[in-house]
Amino acid sequence: MVDGKNQLLFKDKPIKILLAKPGIDGHDRGILVLAKAFRDAGMEVLYAGLLPTPEEVVDTAVNEDVDVIALSLLNGAHMTVFRKVAQIMESRNIDDISLVGGGTIPDEDKPELEKMKITGNYGPGTPLSVIIDHVTMRAIEARERKLR
Amino acid sequence: MEGANDNLRKELLAKLYQYGGHSQVVGITGPPGIGKSTLIGNMSSLIIKSGKKVAILAIDASSPYTGGSLLGNRIRMQDQLWENKIYMRSLANRGSKGGLADSALGSVIILDSAGYDYIIIETVGSGQADLDIMNLADTTVLVLAPGLGDQIQAIKAGIMEIADIFVMNKMDREGAYFAMKDIEDTLSLDENKEFRREVIGSTITKSESYLELINAIGRHREFLDRAGQMGKKRLDFALRWVLEDELKEKLIDPIIAKIHSNPKNASLKENIYQEVDFIIDSLDIRGLLKKI
Ligand code: B12
Ligand SMILES: Nc1nc2c(ncn2[C@@H]2O[C@H](COP(=O)(O)OP(=O)(O)OP(=O)(O)O)[C@@H](O)[C@H]2O)c(=O)[nH]1
Ligand SMILES: [Mg+2]
Repeated sequence: MVDGKNQLLFKDKPIKILLAKPGIDGHDRGILVLAKAFRDAGMEVLYAGLLPTPEEVVDTAVNEDVDVIALSLLNGAHMTVFRKVAQIMESRNIDDISLVGGGTIPDEDKPELEKMKITGNYGPGTPLSVIIDHVTMRAIEARERKLR
Repeated sequence: MEGANDNLRKELLAKLYQYGGHSQVVGITGPPGIGKSTLIGNMSSLIIKSGKKVAILAIDASSPYTGGSLLGNRIRMQDQLWENKIYMRSLANRGSKGGLADSALGSVIILDSAGYDYIIIETVGSGQADLDIMNLADTTVLVLAPGLGDQIQAIKAGIMEIADIFVMNKMDREGAYFAMKDIEDTLSLDENKEFRREVIGSTITKSESYLELINAIGRHREFLDRAGQMGKKRLDFALRWVLEDELKEKLIDPIIAKIHSNPKNASLKENIYQEVDFIIDSLDIRGLLKKI
């Protein structure tokens, strides 16, 4: 939740989030649902559209100074592609942008993703409020690192 | 940057400001959905290919209810941005006049000091915040399209004041040549002899049309250079912004605090103008202006 002490972190500047499907995956319904939900929760939402490369996703996130990158894949390629994004972030020493994942992600993949600091990894049927709360928590972490 | 420590931020911007003055700030405005983002994406690719540097700032509207925003300008141009490695930053207008002007000015100062030839700013051209932003631009381009209906009449009425260059976009559409001629006729009444305002026709189906716009923007720059006006609006904008900021903190806020601390001012609401006039008179503004 953005409240109390956290509120100061977002004074005059709401959470900014980039949504991306970095891969050959046309399932865009979920991500469009999330875009509207995040906007209605008061966030500033960017959508990188279909088919950006992992490099393009990270470049855009840096140029736009977002707090969170939300990665969505339903095509099963998340282990390769999400990892690539995390690796680029690490090689460029970017630690003030949080990575959150989701789509069709089997439970057994989640610990490995968590190790790459890609959290959430929610699938079909997750209540939007759970997703929004998780993204908010990760945005607070990123914002704290930005202001450090 | 926007969230950084305030004093440090001001200091940094003041330093960077000294290194600027090279960029031509081009404001692109016009009704929603008219094709501004598409045009900016195409135009910027051509600019890059001609060997010049361009950066883009695009303003999106925030919801007045939730404060949230879908920053939709980027999606219309991002393929070109990625292909040509163009810097673009989306700014939500956050409903607040001050906040946007502040971050847009800051962004322009930083980009200018980084040596961009063009800084392109997209706004929807409605609302006070947007109008303020246009004061940052050296060159203002108003984008129109055929089929605007009655809206065009209102725009034509004040057309000389609105922009330096006009674009009739979506020239592939029916009625485009007629609509363009209509604006041309209105502009022929323009009495400004120093800079001839023109209408450029553009369409996504003919990329040379964006080149014509770039050339027109170049002609306006030559005019500004000749007239010694390059960067002048930005300087005024910065001065006004800093002055208003400082006066609020150092003068207006203390005066209000002072008024509240005096119990005899409890009934102030009956003679507020008198009271303010009295304060202003006792400040001796005329004497002050002579000293500057
Ligand atoms: C609708 C659908 C389609 C539509 C897509 C329409 C569109 N524009 O989106 C069409 C018919 C085009 C389609 C095609 C294909 N599909 Co399909 N499709 C589905 C289906 C039935 C539902 C997906 C959906 O829209 N759900 C509704 C939205 C709102 O939910 P969501 O996307 O899951 O998103 C929610 C959560 O997952 C989460 N979430 C999602 N992303 C993120 C990101 C973050 C950061 C967070 C926090 C949360 C989060 O939050 C969202 C909102 O609640 C699924 C099966 C299923 N039940 O998931 C298969 C499925 C995804 N499709 C599948 C396949 C294989 C295909 C095809 C390859 C061919 C085929 N066999 O049908 C093609 C490929 C298309 C392409 N170009 O990529 C497989 C994928 C298998 C895999 N992962 O290995 C699935 C799982 C079906 C299955 N069981 O086999 N498909
Ligand atoms: N027919 C035609 N359509 C165009 C042209 N240029 C843009 N469009 C379409 O017009 C629609 C709006 O384009 P945008 O570039 O998003 O317009 P905008 O003025 O930036 O819109 P806002 O930022 O929402 O105010 C899109 O569907 C474009 O594909 C053109 O030259 N001809
Ligand atoms: Mg636009």
